[in-house]
Amino acid sequence: MRNATAVAFLIFGFTAVVRAEPLAPSEVKALLARIHDKRVAAPDVQADFQEQKNVRMLNKPISSSGKVWFKPPNKFRREVKGNSPSVTVSDGQQLWIYYPNFKSAERYTLGKRSPLDAAIAAITASMNLQNVESLYHISASREADGYELQLAPRNPSMKRLLQTFTIRLSNDLQVQRTEMLQPNGDKIVTSYSNESRAPIPDATFEFKPPAGTDVTTPLGR
Amino acid sequence: MRIHSTIAHYVTQRRAIVWLAVALISIASVFVLVTRMRLDTEVLNLLPSGFESVEGLKVYNRDFAQVRELTFALLCQPQDVDKLEEFAPEFAQRLRHQPWCTRIFAGAPMETAEGIHDLQSIAVPLLLNLEPQAFDQAIALLQPQQIRERLHRLREEIEAGSPRPQMELTLDPLGVIAPALKPFASNAAIEEDQPLTSPDRTMRVFLTVTNQPSISAFDCQKLMQEVNAFRQTATQGWDGGPLQVLVTGRSAYVAEISLSMRHDIIVTVLGSIILVGGVFYAGFRRWIPLFGMGFSLILCCVVALACGLLVFGELNMVTIGFCAILIGLGVDFAILIYGRYQQARDEGFDHPTAVGESVRTLGRAVFFGALTTAIGFLALLLAGSAGFTQLGVLIALGISFAGVFMMTVFFLFLPRKSPPPRRDWMFESVRRYVHWIVAKPASVLWIVTPILIALTALAISPKPPVIFDVSTSSMEPKRSDAGYALKTIMEKMPTRWEPVLGIVKANDAQQLHDYWQRIAAHWQKVQDAGKIKSFSTPAALAMSPARERNNRETLQKLSFPAARDALSAAINAEGFNRDTFGPAFALLDQLQSASYLSLRLPDWRSLLPKSSSWWFLVDRYFAHDPLLSTGFVTTNQPVETQAQQQMLRRELPVSGVPMVLSGWSFTLTDLVPWSHRQLILISSLMAVFDAALLAVLYRDWRLWLIQVATLAMSVASMIATMKLLHLPLNLLNVLAFRLVLAIGVDYGIYVLLVWQNAKKLDHDVAGVVKPVILAALTAICGFGSLGAANNPTLSGLGYACAIGLFWSIVATIFFTLPAAAAAEPKSWREESLQPRVKDPEHA
Repeated sequence: MRNATAVAFLIFGFTAVVRAEPLAPSEVKALLARIHDKRVAAPDVQADFQEQKNVRMLNKPISSSGKVWFKPPNKFRREVKGNSPSVTVSDGQQLWIYYPNFKSAERYTLGKRSPLDAAIAAITASMNLQNVESLYHISASREADGYELQLAPRNPSMKRLLQTFTIRLSNDLQVQRTEMLQPNGDKIVTSYSNESRAPIPDATFEFKPPAGTDVTTPLGR
Repeated sequence: MRIHSTIAHYVTQRRAIVWLAVALISIASVFVLVTRMRLDTEVLNLLPSGFESVEGLKVYNRDFAQVRELTFALLCQPQDVDKLEEFAPEFAQRLRHQPWCTRIFAGAPMETAEGIHDLQSIAVPLLLNLEPQAFDQAIALLQPQQIRERLHRLREEIEAGSPRPQMELTLDPLGVIAPALKPFASNAAIEEDQPLTSPDRTMRVFLTVTNQPSISAFDCQKLMQEVNAFRQTATQGWDGGPLQVLVTGRSAYVAEISLSMRHDIIVTVLGSIILVGGVFYAGFRRWIPLFGMGFSLILCCVVALACGLLVFGELNMVTIGFCAILIGLGVDFAILIYGRYQQARDEGFDHPTAVGESVRTLGRAVFFGALTTAIGFLALLLAGSAGFTQLGVLIALGISFAGVFMMTVFFLFLPRKSPPPRRDWMFESVRRYVHWIVAKPASVLWIVTPILIALTALAISPKPPVIFDVSTSSMEPKRSDAGYALKTIMEKMPTRWEPVLGIVKANDAQQLHDYWQRIAAHWQKVQDAGKIKSFSTPAALAMSPARERNNRETLQKLSFPAARDALSAAINAEGFNRDTFGPAFALLDQLQSASYLSLRLPDWRSLLPKSSSWWFLVDRYFAHDPLLSTGFVTTNQPVETQAQQQMLRRELPVSGVPMVLSGWSFTLTDLVPWSHRQLILISSLMAVFDAALLAVLYRDWRLWLIQVATLAMSVASMIATMKLLHLPLNLLNVLAFRLVLAIGVDYGIYVLLVWQNAKKLDHDVAGVVKPVILAALTAICGFGSLGAANNPTLSGLGYACAIGLFWSIVATIFFTLPAAAAAEPKSWREESLQPRVKDPEHA
């Protein structure tokens, strides 16, 4: 029994070490450099995603799935499928969110240091991972099947929106999963699959609301 | 006994009586100074009264909370912008904890939970202030069906990924208060017009309201001592490159200005005494008369200050220049009188006779000199500025006292026994010059006249133009930390230019509301026409008792229990967390209470916590008296021209609404015509007065013409020099022209009066030209020493006067004198050029 306990301890202890082995700052830098090199070689990315939101306002989590496209430094498109579909498109200057069910769209202007800019920076960080050190305090650990990056925002505007941002990478440095914890307790977990690094045409990041769409500008700018 | 004999008798034979009189006057004056001295540090009191914009600025400075506002700015290096963003909240927190800080504005309150909570606390009064139609639309959302549909839609939008529903539910869970909160919620407009972060992110601005007990200079100094101590430690924890902590605001300026007054007094008075004393000693090589002159001048200053305090009750900061100016002017009399006295002693007269001789020969010139100077300074009364009125009266009094004291008290210090005459190189040089001038006046006139005419042409020519600086910076103290901070903030944030104020005072709340409704509608049209960039008014915050009553009656028709039930049901049906809707149920309770007309609703101001950042918005619009309010108009460009100012004056007012347009830039532009009037009209009046006086005095058209031409060319040369040296005129140093006319005319009077009556031309004229040169040098030094003042008004005035007086003396010596010599009959000149009589008959 004692031997079995010792073996079990050794097995679980070993597994734990393998699962979360913190990286030294120099190793984190090296890891980020590797990610950078890989992204420079093939900057565009597209992938399928599945998302689960735990929103404080709602008693039950919200699940959704869809596809995301990203082109550095800040262009992205995100299509949500299912009963409540939506299309979110940003060309770096403007952000559109279109709701086909309601035939309505919201337009936001970016680059005015609004809370939205911080949100966009947080969203694109997982796909971009460029210059993340200037925006976040970063720690990392080696996992059994890859790496986990823990990002804590540096500046107050991002802190208001984001408490921690965790990115799980595969061994070949593909983003597999992100976990966003917000100060109000909301939590968004997104899993990515079918990643492709083929070039994406610029037209993907352009949006023109269909005729008859009710367009609003919630932030008034 | 004639007056000069009487004076000579008393100051030489009855000295004790004169000393007793001096002692009594001194004691009385010092008593008044010690017991009544009050200094007015309000820079606005330098501006002329009677201008609506000036009065508006005074009201804004006095009655609005911004008077206690300090603006802090953190300025970092470009590579540290991210660190600055991280450090800013820490700095804001430190500021918040300072004992002198009442509240702080470091970011949009809408982005904080406290800001949203504070806003919700005043939602009901603002909602009840909506116009009936908008109120009905808002209240319609409380119908059960509307509640159900709205929550269903919000739920679907959340699922679709929109951030808007969450924002909306956080701020306005029932959807009824958003229209009422719009003016507050759109406070982002403040940040757009007045951003808190510079575009390059190297600067962060923090607004604070302090709790200083009063806005007096002493309290401002005390506050700034604490603020500066805070600045020393405020950057602890900063690990980037150099980080500047800048601070500006009214208190910062007042503290600096009041402290710099001490510096200015010491620097200008000491500088004036040293320079004037140096010139006097260089001219006469005597110490005791110098001491006597100093004593007499100090006596003039003390007595005039005491009289000024008795007349005005307090003295403006600009009057600190008074002593330096008076020393520069009063010393003229001492030099002239002593020069004549010394000449008489050198010629063998005894002390009493020499005193009588000086008073006899120069009494008239001193009287007219004092008269023209006093009237020149009294003309400052026409400026309509409290500060300059005081300065004018003080100097007029002082120069009159100087005339009296120099012809009485000054003689008490002159030794009865004259030391043996020494070789006077200056007198000899002047005598030789006079001799030459009288013999060959044309040789000098041919050189000097073209130069003076060329300078006059340059002065009249539109190119190069006179620099006329009406910017607010022309009024700022030199070497001012507060000024540097403001300038740096303005440079870093180019969109931060000062808005135009529209100040409105109403008799009651309903009138205030009605006024602002009309103004907002009118300004909207002006904005739509592209004549202004934007505007903001307290229209939504000016409560209408009539509307409130009407809307409360409407509330009585609503079924609140049904609304509550519908809300509970919708929350459950849509799977919302009930805690999120706590404020919604609270709002329903408040609205139900408001529907009871017998219940008195609290003033919305009392519902907003004192520390709330929203107060920055409220205080921006309302004075301590809530019926006194202001709106802001951001112009398309900073207000700098008359055309802009006139357009705003034409477009912004609303018929039937009493509104005062003001603001620093607007006011300074408003004052440009006044300043031009000062420059042209009043200087012209002064010139006419001088011309009339000279006509009476000389009764000789040739001498009159010569002196008038001298004055005209002196002032023109002064303008030309300022053009060439790029010295700007500002709203206040235009007053220098009349001072130069008033003082400059004296030099001509001294010289030409003696010239007219001289029996031994080279002796008599040289005897007065030397003291006139010395007097001019001392006056130039006196005014020049003002250049060292921190106060730009004083230093600008000092430089302009010094230049003007320089040209006055140059024109007097090199134009007036030879021109007078050329105008007189030749035979008379030859007769007068006979060698001097060695032993005068009365010696």
